[in-house]
Amino acid sequence: MTTKEITENKNILDLFIEGAKRGFTIGTTSLLPNVVMAFVIIRILEVTGLLKLIGIVCSPIMALWGLPGEAATILITSIMSMGGGIGVAVSLYTSAHLDATQVTMMVPAIYLIGNPVQNIGRCLGIAGVNTKHYAAIFSICLINALLSIWAMRFILMFA
Amino acid sequence: MKQTNNSTLQVPWTGYLAFLVAILLFSGIFSSSDGWLKAFDFNVLNGSFGKIQGVDKAFTFRGVGGSGARDGFLFAFELIPAVILALGLVNVVDGLGGLKAAQKLMTPILRPLLGVPGITALANIANMQSTDAAAGMVKELVDAGQITDEERSVIISYQTSASAFITNYFSSGAAVFSFMLVPIIVPIIVMFIFKIIGANLMRLYLKIVLKKPLLGGINHDN
Repeated sequence: MTTKEITENKNILDLFIEGAKRGFTIGTTSLLPNVVMAFVIIRILEVTGLLKLIGIVCSPIMALWGLPGEAATILITSIMSMGGGIGVAVSLYTSAHLDATQVTMMVPAIYLIGNPVQNIGRCLGIAGVNTKHYAAIFSICLINALLSIWAMRFILMFA
Repeated sequence: MKQTNNSTLQVPWTGYLAFLVAILLFSGIFSSSDGWLKAFDFNVLNGSFGKIQGVDKAFTFRGVGGSGARDGFLFAFELIPAVILALGLVNVVDGLGGLKAAQKLMTPILRPLLGVPGITALANIANMQSTDAAAGMVKELVDAGQITDEERSVIISYQTSASAFITNYFSSGAAVFSFMLVPIIVPIIVMFIFKIIGANLMRLYLKIVLKKPLLGGINHDN
């Protein structure tokens, strides 16, 4: 068993360093580019006035979750990438479009959408899922995400 | 088959201890406690950046009022220590057998909750850390005739929503740990619950729309 071998060969400090190295790599090669991209996207949307427009157009829908219309950009980005969704969320937080409560509410949703653009190949494709079930699976991911925002809102009432 | 039978899975006592410590670390239970227990809190260990004294106020090195790629770069730079710390801790927990302990504890729960054969537990546990590896294991199970096409769709409904949620959450999600208003562990629990709800919505869909009877893993269990 691999775990056993690791415990025999490596002590806790080695294990930490190994994981920390991976953290550094992920942080610099995945998180950082994602956040920079998200900040640039939000900047473009701000400068062109599109963010305001999205805010107005989406506000009646997002109001169902007690969120401003701009929050829709997080969900749209999450369809393409989880890291991108988080990046957009922090960008909207630092530019004061969303507050900490609103970002907290959306955290599980960003992941539950399950970036279908990538997972159509990486999860459904690899597993060889019956293509007749694709629509149902992606709908379920969306339902999960939208319900989770309400669930988080409920939890936040006690936090 | 590469499947490990859960009943023969050996979990060292350090595994259970590591799993327990991980839950404590990310639950934030000790975040506001005084004294040495504080050491068992992720955000306490993550610490804070020093402040640079401005004219009226002190700022971190990121400053205020930045925008675009430059602001995004410095912001992301601030987040990297949290990712390094989180993945370092997760690797220690894994190395001590903590994730094996999680597997052992979760296997009996997953089966009744998802209504799929017990043999799929390993693939569903692998899904905590890897999207591709877990999906590959599901494919092997179908090819080996261990599960049906419908059961595969139920399992994938569980897997694709918040896929690799432990890895993804502790890498990209670390970006929101510092200002999130719930303990770090709460979104994990919410994601896990909705993954299970999603799988059951798929069961319902197959039963009602496609009128496929589901065996619930009883008739062809291993």
